[in-house]
Amino acid sequence: MSSRAFDKGLARCFSCGKLCQLSVQQHQASCCPRCDSPVSFRQSASLSYSWALTLAALALLVPANMLPILTVVSFGQGDPDTIMSGVIKLWEAELQAIAAVVFIASVAVPVAKLVVMLLLMLVVQLKLPLSKEQCTLLYRFIHFIGRWSMLDLFMISILVTVVHMGNIANVESGPAALAFGAVVVLTMLAADYFDPRLLWDLEHE
Amino acid sequence: MTDSLSPHRESLLACPDCDLLLRVDAVPLDRECHCPRCDALVQDGGHYAIDLHLAAAFSGLVLFVPAVTAPVLRFTMVGQWGSNSLLGGVWHLWTQGEQILSLLVLLCSVVAPFFHLLLSFGIALTLRLSRLPNNFPAWLKWHRHMQGWSMLEVYTLGIIVAYVKMLDDGDVFVGSGTYCVAGVLLCLIICNQCFREDVAWRQWEQRK
Repeated sequence: MSSRAFDKGLARCFSCGKLCQLSVQQHQASCCPRCDSPVSFRQSASLSYSWALTLAALALLVPANMLPILTVVSFGQGDPDTIMSGVIKLWEAELQAIAAVVFIASVAVPVAKLVVMLLLMLVVQLKLPLSKEQCTLLYRFIHFIGRWSMLDLFMISILVTVVHMGNIANVESGPAALAFGAVVVLTMLAADYFDPRLLWDLEHE
Repeated sequence: MTDSLSPHRESLLACPDCDLLLRVDAVPLDRECHCPRCDALVQDGGHYAIDLHLAAAFSGLVLFVPAVTAPVLRFTMVGQWGSNSLLGGVWHLWTQGEQILSLLVLLCSVVAPFFHLLLSFGIALTLRLSRLPNNFPAWLKWHRHMQGWSMLEVYTLGIIVAYVKMLDDGDVFVGSGTYCVAGVLLCLIICNQCFREDVAWRQWEQRK
C-alpha cells in the first residue's frame, strides 16, 4: 500500500503546502517554518464544522425557496416571485436558455452541493465503502461550482438598482434573498472545512 | 529571470487531496504534475511569467475604478430611465434595508477582486525587484483568500441574465462599466493563469 505523508510524520501546511515534520503527539500548536501558519495533520475538527455548516444551510434552504425573493411591479401590478416561480416565468416568456442558467445556479447547484456534502460526510462518519476516487471528484466538483450560486444575488442587486422608477416599474428584493445568500456562504464554507484526506484515510485503517 | 526562479526544491510533496507522499525531484519545475492516486493537481505547469502577471495586475487596477463606478446597464421605459454600477448596486441594497446582503455583494464583487489585484501587483512587483517584504507570507495567504471570494466572473453572468430579463419591458443599453468589468475580468484571469504560488513560496524561503 502506498504511504501517506501522515505515516512518515509529515504534515502538509494548509497555507503554503510545505511538508513539516510533526510528531504524532503534538497535533496542534506547531507552526510552519516557511509561513508561520499553524500546522496539523488534518484540518482540525473538519467533520464537526462541515456538519454544522451543512445542516445550517439545509435549514435555510427552506425559507430561501419558499419565501419571495424578488417582486417586480410595473404600473402597480406584479406579484412576488420565489426562486422557482421566477424560473418558470422566464421559461414561459420563451427565455429557455436564461431559465436554465438561473435554474442551475439557484436551484440545482445549492441542492447538489448539500446532497454531496451530506454524502461525503456520511462516507467518512460511517466508513461507507464507496469509491474514494469518485468521492474526491464530487468534492472537487462542488468546490468548483459553489461560487456560481451567487449569480442570483448579483442579478438581484443589478435589477433593484436599474429598475427603480417609482410608479412605473419597480423591483424589490424579498426576504428569501438573505436566506439564499446565507445558504451560498454556508455551503462554500462547509466545502472549505471538509478535508478530503479523511476519505482516503479510510483506506489505511 | 526564470533561472533565478528555479532554485533548489523539495524532493517530497504530499498530495493536498489524499495525502499520498510523492517523490518529485525528478519532475521538472515547469511540468504539470498530478497525483497518481486521486488525480489532484500537485504542481502547476509552465514558467511563472512575472512580467505578464505584473502587467495584468496593473492594468486591472487601472480599470478597476471605472469598472465599479461607471454604469453597467441602462434601462429606459416610457421616458424614465435607471442605471446601475457595481458600487451603486451595493449602496441601493444597503438603503433598502438589506445590509448583510449588500456587504456580501460588496465583498464578492468589489473588495475581493480589488485586493486580489492589489496583492497580485504587490507580489509580482516585489518578486520582480527581488525585494520581498517581511509580511510577504501574509500577502500570499490573503491573496489566496481573496482569490476564493472574488466572483467577478459570476457577476458578469449576472449582468447578462439581468440584461435579458429586462429586454421585454423596455430598452436596455450596455454601459461603459460593462466593458471595464470585462477588462478587469480578463486581467484577473491572466493573473490567475500565470501566477505560480509554489514558486513565490520557494522564493520567500530562499530569501531567508
